[in-house]
Amino acid sequence: MSAEDEFDKLWRRIKEVERSIREYVEDEFRRALEDVRNELRSINRMLMPSWSHEGYLRPLYAVKDVGRAYIIYIDLPKVDEGTIDVRFRNNLVMIRAKLKEGLKISSWSGRGGEVKFHEYREVIELPVRIDPSKVRVNVKRSRVQIVVHK
Amino acid sequence: MEVYREEFLGEFRFVEYRPFRLEKPAYAVVALPDAGLVGVIGAWHIVKSLGLKEVGGIDSYSFLPPVIVVSNKEIKLPVRIFAKDDLLLIYSEFMLPQAGMVQLSRILLNYVERKGVEYVILMSGIPIQNRFEVEKLRTYYITTSPKASELLKDIEAIPFENGYLVGPYALLLKESVKSRLDSIMIFTESFLEFPDPEASARNIEVFSKITGKSIDVKDLLEQAEVIRIRARDTMKNVVRNLAQMRKEYEYTPPLHI
Repeated sequence: MSAEDEFDKLWRRIKEVERSIREYVEDEFRRALEDVRNELRSINRMLMPSWSHEGYLRPLYAVKDVGRAYIIYIDLPKVDEGTIDVRFRNNLVMIRAKLKEGLKISSWSGRGGEVKFHEYREVIELPVRIDPSKVRVNVKRSRVQIVVHK
Repeated sequence: MEVYREEFLGEFRFVEYRPFRLEKPAYAVVALPDAGLVGVIGAWHIVKSLGLKEVGGIDSYSFLPPVIVVSNKEIKLPVRIFAKDDLLLIYSEFMLPQAGMVQLSRILLNYVERKGVEYVILMSGIPIQNRFEVEKLRTYYITTSPKASELLKDIEAIPFENGYLVGPYALLLKESVKSRLDSIMIFTESFLEFPDPEASARNIEVFSKITGKSIDVKDLLEQAEVIRIRARDTMKNVVRNLAQMRKEYEYTPPLHI
């Protein structure tokens, strides 16, 4: 092998190493950015009250990764079960449901004390794109279970 | 807020708004936020049902947020102390950081002991993964002494034999053992992330049998959905703190028993 070929081989190798380092750094950077974004989202959710002066409540929910599926549990006390509306778009689950009757939170001065609440609204983000044909929704004692198969 | 007596214990300020004395044998309930807010929901029902009076409060500039409770136009401290006859009840909707919890557990038990309390009763939830499906909830108990176990004879609760407990009640049990207090922990299967008044009602039924105090849970169950709505923000804050305390260890089977 000539010196020129040796040099080409070395140069290709250097380029390969450079590409893998770049890919590794980009991946790590993307992951770190996603972590920061998740943390900010979680802080934002913590600071945001679970009600709006426009008359809707944000329900409590929990998302569990059980391997073959994500299971979302949503707590909807006082809900009119016939009005629970769950929709899916890309990786988002959108929930709206009416309360059985307008509700005021009694003995609470100012802030939301005067607001009459009529419905629940929430948008839940999953890490995967949702195929609505692979989703099962169960309602039990004003709690909703949504099984999203991966 | 009238101050009858004030004392500083560690980083905590204990205030009594009026003098009070407990009848013997006295019981103390300590209700702190944990899984499903089972303890605090149940404790509030006890306060209402038995007509307990607010006799004091606890504050800390190091471990509690700068907060006051305004109740019927009166200013109260964030950790509230109620009492009547032979019952002392300590109640907080605020969750302390771990370092504060360690100190508060020790100080609280010292305080109740000095108040002449004979039995400490702790009530909470034991989170189960399939709570969505389960309707008949099981109640477990742990005691710190044979004397405390005596109170649970013929009571429909299962002894908790093996496993981990994580969170404020784990600390209170640890400190009870250290202080040789007769403590009973009652815990019913519950949600972790959602307020669970049904589990609280089950705990109260056991509490009633232990103490001989008749407490009707019908009202609590009727109001369960309203309580679940009211408790959402408190629950949301508590879940974050429980995650920091590594509450998920409770789902771990111990390697050696």
